[in-house]
Amino acid sequence: MDISQKRRTLLKVIVLGDSGVGKTSLMNQYVYKKFSQQYKATIGADFVTKELLIDDKLITLQIWDTAGQERFHSLGPAFYRGADCCVLVYDVNIHKSFDRLNNWHDEFLQQADLDNAETFPFVLLGNKVDLDGGSSRRVTEQKAREWCASRGNIPYFETSAKEGYNVDEAFLCVAKISLDNEHVPDIYFPGISETASEAEQPRSGCAC
Amino acid sequence: MWRDPGAPADSFYEVRPECTDVPKSRFRIKAGKTLSARKWLAAFSPEGHLDIGKTLSRIHRGGIHPSIRGEVWEFLLGCYDPKSTYEERDELRERRRSQYDTWKEECRQLFPLVGSGKFITAPVITEDGVPIQDPLVLLETNTDDGAIAPPQDNNPGGSNGTGPSSNGANVEKVTDKRVIQWLLTLHQIGLDVIRTDRTLVFYEKKENLSKLWDILAVYARIDTDVGYCQGMSDLCSPMIILLNDEADAFWCFERLMRRLRGNFRCTDSSVGVEAQLTNLASITQVIDPKLHQHLEHLGGGDYLFAFRMLMVLFRREFSFCDSLYLWEMMWALEYDPELFFIYEDADETSEKSEESKLRLKSIRHYGKFERENMKNGSKNAEEAPLPISIFLVASVLKEKSATLLQQARGLDDVVKILNDVNGNLDAKKACISALKLHKKYLKKAKKP
Repeated sequence: MDISQKRRTLLKVIVLGDSGVGKTSLMNQYVYKKFSQQYKATIGADFVTKELLIDDKLITLQIWDTAGQERFHSLGPAFYRGADCCVLVYDVNIHKSFDRLNNWHDEFLQQADLDNAETFPFVLLGNKVDLDGGSSRRVTEQKAREWCASRGNIPYFETSAKEGYNVDEAFLCVAKISLDNEHVPDIYFPGISETASEAEQPRSGCAC
Repeated sequence: MWRDPGAPADSFYEVRPECTDVPKSRFRIKAGKTLSARKWLAAFSPEGHLDIGKTLSRIHRGGIHPSIRGEVWEFLLGCYDPKSTYEERDELRERRRSQYDTWKEECRQLFPLVGSGKFITAPVITEDGVPIQDPLVLLETNTDDGAIAPPQDNNPGGSNGTGPSSNGANVEKVTDKRVIQWLLTLHQIGLDVIRTDRTLVFYEKKENLSKLWDILAVYARIDTDVGYCQGMSDLCSPMIILLNDEADAFWCFERLMRRLRGNFRCTDSSVGVEAQLTNLASITQVIDPKLHQHLEHLGGGDYLFAFRMLMVLFRREFSFCDSLYLWEMMWALEYDPELFFIYEDADETSEKSEESKLRLKSIRHYGKFERENMKNGSKNAEEAPLPISIFLVASVLKEKSATLLQQARGLDDVVKILNDVNGNLDAKKACISALKLHKKYLKKAKKP
């Protein structure tokens, strides 16, 4: 199969969530397969890219990292422009970071200037499940899934950026639903296919 | 004699051995160029009057020797008047230390972990002032080996003896809005403290982490307009490394914030730094109109891609050591001997203001950048003069101009190209270039 002849698709993904929930760590685990104890707080916005194959299609995921502190919210519109998917992250050990998902979700929709706000794809990640062997956990999986259901069946993944647990699976799902939502019409688009590509390890975790 | 290649200074700011991807510093201690301890001491009269003019050009050419950095910074940032005596400064220092202690004690009354050597990384209060009783909301319990432990539930049984209530934190609902606001920032400070300069051996020590937390917490309490904003920990961290005394470090940081606090003031619709980004746009429009046009065409007319450089004064673009070198060059170039009085007078309309007006102004005691501003009369203009930091960003853009024009087809490309400069910038060259652009800007901007 000659990849070069395939149409390249750039998908823009925005990662949002409270400060310290692990947004940068998740992205770096996904793209560079590493975890550091020495990450710095994100100032402004930055992005990483990852290429993957989905249904014979070469995808470039451009994943944007943002600062978590609430007071930077006014910068939202500048960074969210042209997004294909929004990844919400919370820390399963910090209840407040879960409570604030509503704010992140609604504000994104308000600020991103979308023409498909009703159907715009989100994915929720509950991070740091490894912490303290799970005994410091404050938000149950059920509670998170209920929230996802109430928000139009948002796919949900429990992850550990530190251990690399479920990170690939989560972002593969992100890539797939971004592709479905790609705002530029794509004539090669093969339709919704559930078969995962070879580029990424297929797993049944994706609910999209 | 052969040209002195200089001695590296990274050993003064030791990096943890396991951190291998830390950029190397370009800064070198050079005999005859870097401001040495000997030269510094020689600039004082027997009573302690400092002839700062003697040191400024050294600093902006060769930086400051790490062994005296802290005390020189105190002058550069305007903590002290160079014309004061040793005695006067000792007295002022004591006054400031006790002021800091008073503030810190007030903070401790509101939240007992202040000054305890512990701190928090999870919220302790809700927006409406209800304390969060979750036992996880805990102290940063550091293990002895210095490795950071995330907030731990020491007693997995549920309620335990280390919750906020047993620390004596307020259990009752807090009603004072300013106090709520302050309590709401404490975990944010904690979250950033554990992510600030952690590649340095210095921050393996738990007491240094809590010093950083304490200073930022006290600052957030006294500057209620700004409180705490992400990025401030990057600015505060060097002070703690350079100045042993916590109160002295606080005051140095406080003086730095006088220059920078505008960047951190946020409203619902804007972040303070955006005003400086607008200035950056005007400058670029004058000195590199093609680039400005291109950036605007890409939708980057807001210059948000330069957000981080200004917010944390290039801390992320340079190694630790090189950013200190860059800072001191900037401050030496910008130096205004009135700084001390400007800051003091803002606090209290004291009798000193008269005195300061009568001070003999010798142009020699101003930094080179500041002199240029004075020549152009911008000192008396209604607007505050543009800080050198904006010209530094402009110089980075200028250097990348060709690449940006050729390769950037979207704002994402702009961000990538500018991120590539990380660790590759030369602080000295950037300063020289910034000075040139400043001159050029003043010249061009004057013409109608």
